[in-house]
Amino acid sequence: MAIRVTLDRILLERRMSLTDLSERVGVTLANLSILKTGKAKAIRFSTLNALCRVLECQPGELLSFEPSEDDAELEGADQVAE
Amino acid sequence: MRALGKGSLASIIKVVLDIAWVVLWVAAGCLALGVVCYLGVVAAIQFGALSPEVLESSSRTVEVGPVTVETRSEDRLVFHVVAPALLSAAVAVGGALVILWRLKHLFKNFTSGEPFSRDNASHLRVIWIAMLVMELSRYAIAAAVALFVAIFGQPERTTIEVDAPVNFMTWCAIFVLIVLAEVFREGARLKEEQELTI
Repeated sequence: MAIRVTLDRILLERRMSLTDLSERVGVTLANLSILKTGKAKAIRFSTLNALCRVLECQPGELLSFEPSEDDAELEGADQVAE
Repeated sequence: MRALGKGSLASIIKVVLDIAWVVLWVAAGCLALGVVCYLGVVAAIQFGALSPEVLESSSRTVEVGPVTVETRSEDRLVFHVVAPALLSAAVAVGGALVILWRLKHLFKNFTSGEPFSRDNASHLRVIWIAMLVMELSRYAIAAAVALFVAIFGQPERTTIEVDAPVNFMTWCAIFVLIVLAEVFREGARLKEEQELTI
């Protein structure tokens, strides 16, 4: 997955633990752990909204795009199709 | 009445399948016993302990699965018919065992309230493959009977009829199961995705 969740960096900057975030956002520790380790397939707007509210950040600060080999292949396929 | 979960229709069907599973194993045991007995009789005839007349059939018409063999000759039908008949029974019982085994697991998952899983999709796929093999084996058995009669019997004095060359209900069931297997696979994929949506 080319989309990375930079939750660990923001938590470090805010000096906040995952348990504290879990209590304040209302998302279980297990689900936040899935999000933090990049195993999540999707994120709800409501969850993103709660995270941004508690961490006082923008959605763009929580997510980053790092192209993988799969994305390079997809881009190549798109160019061939054009 | 609920369709899924404990005390549901699925749990009742699971009990019925458990009973059918035992009955089918008894049938498989009887088939194995029949094969052993037949081989024993053939061996006894070879060694002269029994008269070949033991294997003679009084009937001139014999049904082997979908095939009806009728002879006007003095040949014994037994030899031409026993091998395909045993093969037909083995395919039927073996196929039914595979299908029942998978159905048992399928309804166990339905009873536990988890219909959409990759296991269930696999079970449905194996069931339609088993049904396909069983249906195609009907044609193979018809061909085997014709071949046996042509080689060992008197083809010009024998009539072979195949009952219902194309079984529409079975083919419909196979196609429906193919679609259902893919529906379950897609359902399992969506469920996994939903579980990983935070």
